[in-house]
Amino acid sequence: MLWSELRDLKDDVDFGTPPRAGAEVTLTVDGHTISVPAGSSVMLAAAKAQRNIPKLCATDTLEAWGSCRLCLVEIEGRSGYPASCTTIVAEGMAVTTQSEQLQRLRKGVLELYLSDFPAEDVDGGWSEFHTALAQGGVTTHPYEPVETHLSTPVDVSNPYFLFDPAKCIVCNRCVRACEEIQGTFALTVQGRGFDSKVAAGQDQPFFESDCVSCGACVQTCPTQALIEKSLFEGDYIRG
Amino acid sequence: MANPIIPDKSVVTTCAYCGVGCGFKAETHQGRLVRMTPWKEGKANHGHSCIKGRFAFDYYISDDRVTTPLIRASIDDPWTLVSWEKAIQHAASELRRVQAKYGTKSVGAISSSRCTNEEIFLVQKFARAVLGNNNIDNCARICHSPTQFGLSATVGWGAASQHFDSILQADVIMIVGANPTEGHPVFGSLMKRRVRQGAKLIVIDPRRTETVESAHIKADVHLSLRPGTNVAVLDSIAHVIVREKLYNEAFVRARCEWDEFERWTEFVSSDRYAPEVIGPTAGLDPELIRKAARLYASGPNSAIYYGLGVTEHSQGSTGVMCLGNLSLACGMLGREGVGVNPLRGQGNVQGGSCLGSWPHVFSGYRFVTDDEVRGSFEKDWGVTLDAEPGLRLPNMFDAALAGNFRGMFIMGEDPVQSDPNQNHIIEAMRQMECVVIQDLFLNETSKYAHVFLPGSSSLEKDGTFTSAERRVNRVRKVVEPLAGYQDWEIVVMLMNAMGYLATYDHAGQILDEIARLSPAYKGISFELLERIGSAQWPCDEAAPEGTEVLHREKFPRANGRGTFMLTEYVPTAERTNDTFPLLLTTGRILTQYNVGTQTRRTQNNRWHSEDVLEISAHDAHIRGIRDGERVKVSSRFGCTELKAKFSERVGSGIVYTTFHHAETRINVVTSDLSDWATNCPEYKVTAVEVVKVASEQTAKRAAKKKREHVVTA
Repeated sequence: MLWSELRDLKDDVDFGTPPRAGAEVTLTVDGHTISVPAGSSVMLAAAKAQRNIPKLCATDTLEAWGSCRLCLVEIEGRSGYPASCTTIVAEGMAVTTQSEQLQRLRKGVLELYLSDFPAEDVDGGWSEFHTALAQGGVTTHPYEPVETHLSTPVDVSNPYFLFDPAKCIVCNRCVRACEEIQGTFALTVQGRGFDSKVAAGQDQPFFESDCVSCGACVQTCPTQALIEKSLFEGDYIRG
Repeated sequence: MANPIIPDKSVVTTCAYCGVGCGFKAETHQGRLVRMTPWKEGKANHGHSCIKGRFAFDYYISDDRVTTPLIRASIDDPWTLVSWEKAIQHAASELRRVQAKYGTKSVGAISSSRCTNEEIFLVQKFARAVLGNNNIDNCARICHSPTQFGLSATVGWGAASQHFDSILQADVIMIVGANPTEGHPVFGSLMKRRVRQGAKLIVIDPRRTETVESAHIKADVHLSLRPGTNVAVLDSIAHVIVREKLYNEAFVRARCEWDEFERWTEFVSSDRYAPEVIGPTAGLDPELIRKAARLYASGPNSAIYYGLGVTEHSQGSTGVMCLGNLSLACGMLGREGVGVNPLRGQGNVQGGSCLGSWPHVFSGYRFVTDDEVRGSFEKDWGVTLDAEPGLRLPNMFDAALAGNFRGMFIMGEDPVQSDPNQNHIIEAMRQMECVVIQDLFLNETSKYAHVFLPGSSSLEKDGTFTSAERRVNRVRKVVEPLAGYQDWEIVVMLMNAMGYLATYDHAGQILDEIARLSPAYKGISFELLERIGSAQWPCDEAAPEGTEVLHREKFPRANGRGTFMLTEYVPTAERTNDTFPLLLTTGRILTQYNVGTQTRRTQNNRWHSEDVLEISAHDAHIRGIRDGERVKVSSRFGCTELKAKFSERVGSGIVYTTFHHAETRINVVTSDLSDWATNCPEYKVTAVEVVKVASEQTAKRAAKKKREHVVTA
């Protein structure tokens, strides 16, 4: 129910997925017992148990999406490593958020993201992505990139914010914010695989698209690919 | 380097733009504001924002910000830069001189909904306790005064019955004369969310606004009525509800005055309000009126949200009463998901309304003529107060022309630009001997001022705003006042210079005084807001953390019951004829805010650099007007020029423009008619003619062509 999704948000916590209203369900996260409303995600339960799970495409103002693959966990009796954002809690569930294998998987994911991110902007950045890198202890990657998005031009058409596709990890948060929060549906992800990219309107510059500059996409972007121009002295220069 | 600045400080405050009252975190770096980000715990916005609040804040450091007090002997002289002390002394002695010469009541004060509650309260105290009269008014006069009057008459309080989140439980949403996606964007987004979840949407608006149709939104019923026929259409909706017995009898019997209900049903069920009769009057298909009525009555939760399209009419108050009647008759009050809610334009219109910035009432809408109420203020303030209600804003201008009003203190208002019939106001302003303006910028009104006191933006002061949902939100100082003082401090200096000792250490003490003297604010203090973030009035012993939904058990009227008003439709005197065949209606756009004082000084101008006249291709064609050409708009009152824009949002016979740019001078054109009860101007209906500016020759040809067209049509 949308009611609790909005009214139970906290400024200093990101539960990862929207709060829900419902009967209490009890589970354990890394051995800690926690009760959360039915319909909540494992990610939210872990956040409530102070066992924060790393994440990039998830935030509690948007419905879960499950694309970044950073929030993988182990659940007793289930095979594989389900994404905690898209997995709904169940009574008696036993969740493990930290293990050697999970550490290895998450590191692999972060290294892949890092391999297509402007290297010069890793130090000194302060986005959620930078925090995830620091928490995962990832500073380098083993790949020799053949093809990257690093030379894609920056869209500076909007007077207030810019979009640097080189920093975009196509997590869809901006697209979902434009739809779910603002309701303008100005953004989309177009193309498939490596070619997939965030596009405004009919693949137009932001300023010329039907974007209404509400800032929801900028607010939710985890990598500072979408960012306020007011945070830069002078013109934006990548790298 | 592409690394962004890391803000070193973050202050939670409230947006200064519209009445939604979004919470923001103002982030600074070395004392400079670098960004505003929406506050997730903001009760109205839950982490969302719009272009104005989030990005358009640079106006506060605009080059033309005045930071030194100015004085001059006559409005034809240039301004002289002076010290604060000199300016305050000059203003004080001049106001007193005018009073000595023309009488105590020859001066007055105007406050603004841009100001904090504390400042608004202080300005009315200044008028009553220092100037010694009740000549105090505020800009809500020209927007939502009918809300106060019309809702008080029916449900008891002139305020939103709900909190914004309540819409998430509505099944039917009826938007009347409002365009939330442009005017109240964050609420507009919430409304759209609910509609996407399946709520039904009724829109009553002459224009096909974005609220009527946009991505994944389509109104179930759009009543694109002719401007000025609100009351007729709402009465017709009531007619259908009564004739088809769709009203909620149990609710009316339990909660309302039954006799009055019966009187009302008899009135609206008259044949003259049948959709078949009203349809042609309003330019609507009768079946659509029936459909809207059935949808609204069916609920189960139906919520009304309305804007200036209801109030800014000669029958504005009547229109508001119609909405009160409908919600009472259908039992759509007193719980979540229902209600009657004004969407207020400015950040603090609700505060401006409830804190006594009116010539006839003290805070809490209590009459100055009431000895007991007045006595409580006299005791607290230590002065004798005038028992006679003062002049309303338009009456002040009339009195100036009549020769017995000669001085004004205007805080944060630009009446010359924003009020109707500009030429009349300019003439009145020229009669003044002492006009003191407190503002951020020189504006249209300051052209006629003698003292200019540089004020502080909402980023530079402490206080509270009361949003359209009655929510008292904290405004916190983010940066130091550019001119040295917070606005309330300036008023205090002026009060002291005029011989009334006012001592406040901080704005919170003014809020304490408000709480002491205003029942609805009794429990509100900086401490409470610090603790729980915000609170909706009434906030008192019975509701220590405020009240989200009003009227749960009874209505705030003497007998606790809601009542029905007879709302006879009286067509406005402003009508089209051969000379002025089109109806002009006005509104606003997302990127600009009100008269544009703030937004025009930001990059928002890139989106809307001038006001344009929306006109249907048909009306344009028969006048020989091409898309983008400059046209002259004239009415019985005046004329102005602007660019024409073909639009499918307006139907034939209607033209529309915004009033964000001073150069447009659209209020030269608007009529001087106003609401019968409250004087709220009728901005929404003016009969006009539109001609191409190009040449008189072309205009004549166009007129000929039009005549021919009419003949053959």
